[in-house]
Amino acid sequence: MNARIFWQQVKMGLILYTRVPAALFWIVAFPVVMLLALGTVFGGNDGGDRKLVWEQSGAPAPADALLIAALSERGTAVEAVSAADAEARWKGGKLPVLLEGRDGRYSLRINNYLVGQAMQTEATVQEAFLVAQARAHGLADPARIPVVMSSPGGHRGGPYAAYLLPGLLGLNLLMMGVFSTGIVDVTLRAKGGYKRLATTPLPRYVYLGAQLAVRILVVLIAAALLMLVGALAFGIHNEGGYAGLLLVQMLGAACFISLGYLLASFAQTPEVYSGIANLTFLPLMLLSGVYFSLDGAPAWLQRTADLLPLTPLLRVLRAIFNDGASLASQWTGIAIVTAWTAALFAAATRRFKWV
Amino acid sequence: MNDSLAIEASGLHKSFRDVRAVRGVDLRVVRGEVFGLLGPNGAGKTTTLEMLEGLVPPDSGRIRVLGMDWRDQGTAIRTRIGVQFQSTELDDKVKVREALEMFGSFYPRARAPAELLRLLHLEDKAEAYQRRLSGGQRQRLALGLALVNDPELVFLDEPTTGLDPQARQGLWELVRQLKGEGRTVLLTTHYMEEAEVLCDRVGIMDRGQILQLGTPRELIAGLQRPSVAEIEFLGSAPDVGPFAARWGKPVEAKGELWAIPLADAKKDLQSLLGCIEVLNVPMQQLHVRRASLEDVFLQLTGRSLRD
Repeated sequence: MNARIFWQQVKMGLILYTRVPAALFWIVAFPVVMLLALGTVFGGNDGGDRKLVWEQSGAPAPADALLIAALSERGTAVEAVSAADAEARWKGGKLPVLLEGRDGRYSLRINNYLVGQAMQTEATVQEAFLVAQARAHGLADPARIPVVMSSPGGHRGGPYAAYLLPGLLGLNLLMMGVFSTGIVDVTLRAKGGYKRLATTPLPRYVYLGAQLAVRILVVLIAAALLMLVGALAFGIHNEGGYAGLLLVQMLGAACFISLGYLLASFAQTPEVYSGIANLTFLPLMLLSGVYFSLDGAPAWLQRTADLLPLTPLLRVLRAIFNDGASLASQWTGIAIVTAWTAALFAAATRRFKWV
Repeated sequence: MNDSLAIEASGLHKSFRDVRAVRGVDLRVVRGEVFGLLGPNGAGKTTTLEMLEGLVPPDSGRIRVLGMDWRDQGTAIRTRIGVQFQSTELDDKVKVREALEMFGSFYPRARAPAELLRLLHLEDKAEAYQRRLSGGQRQRLALGLALVNDPELVFLDEPTTGLDPQARQGLWELVRQLKGEGRTVLLTTHYMEEAEVLCDRVGIMDRGQILQLGTPRELIAGLQRPSVAEIEFLGSAPDVGPFAARWGKPVEAKGELWAIPLADAKKDLQSLLGCIEVLNVPMQQLHVRRASLEDVFLQLTGRSLRD
């Protein structure tokens, strides 16, 4: 009897999800869009056909040819433009780097809005310049310290998308809990939906269990889709065990769905709830290192972030997904998330009001 | 314990913070009758109903529903009662048929959605989202959900509030049908007319208490002034002051008419006509009607229901 009600509720819950395009977008499509967009924009172009805009005023100096040759050996083509053109393109705002050459003396202008892209080019230009100077003096090419791009676990030299994907997996759990779960809870209570259910013999644990199952199913479907897109578009794969990845995601889902119910217990209307939800969501997201590492932040902020649930969750997900880490090796992160889950679940259960 | 009672409640009290919503309600509803709790908004009708429905525990008092106690037989009671609320309580994107199927799944035995759709005249709305229904259709669906388990006892909270007259008639017809099927109905309303038309017995509630209980006829016959004379004017009524002074008994001026409760129509009418003659009241029409539950409420509380 209860099993039948449970499955009926799960089925209905999934059907309702498909009827609310906004909910589906945020949970299923949004992470995919973010992965494709950010993964492409910040993907770099891996030593391929980089192009350097060179403003040349006056006649080319002999040293210029040496520099151009050294640049082209390093996969960077030079586009020579007039001073007026260079100024116009610089003002256009899309040039990360502009090389200015006057009578054999060079200077680099770097766009401080596009530092990420500019730094790679700058390093190449500096190296090429040293090589060109050495050659001009008949010396051997100077050696540089070899650079290897890699994730902390050392297994992957993958693109930015590989850093991003496990972050999005974790962020999605937070979004599911705080937005999709909490808002539904507040709305239904405000409408008298829970009250109506309370007059039927439907057992409460069956109802809430089905709600939980629907949300975990949806978030896992979204995760599978995101991983599929990651594999097809960027060639990134889960380096770790799928069982461990699944377990950590279920733990994260339990943590944030509890958080959603807890936050919902403080709001009487959906309007109030969305304020509370955003106030919670934004700091958690910004401090989690979903999109970028927090290395540049002050130490006290990093230590605080380490104790919030999303930051360790993402670290564990990245360790598994990118570096193939075992669950055991990630026990501190898992312990922090588990402690949060237990505390949030207990508080949410205590405050949950059916009527 | 009495087997013929669907509801037996005594000494119910309930406060929310410092508001004393219900202050000593005793109620017995006989199986098979339509019982109405009647009163203005805030009288405590809904709180009383929610205590009887097992949603809100009373601060004190005793409740038996179908001979059972909420404290240890909650599930058994829930399988045998049906509840309709005032507000829409469903997800916007649930279709009518799905709602009936879903609620049906909660019970060991449920009526087929097709049968309920026919009963409620919602066959052509079976696949519509409940959000797209009109007010009357939504109320009928809410009633359908309350009937899905073939309940012995049905609670209806303000079933016709906000409906147009035609939709109200349709709902009344459904309630009469419930009675015809032998079900017990407990409804709340603030429409006196609705109570008079539908209910076998009514309890008039105000400020958390039941002031009077009985059949609509008994309540009206029990009034000191069971008839009402109404004097109508063309346009707005003149100042009632001089007339009231001469008449010496209660008069209610409401817009285009004066309502004058009469203790004995035969005797009082003559002196009333006398007053009108002497003061040369510019009346358009005079008629005498039986007092209504509206007047009962007015005479019990000194206030009009619509205030």
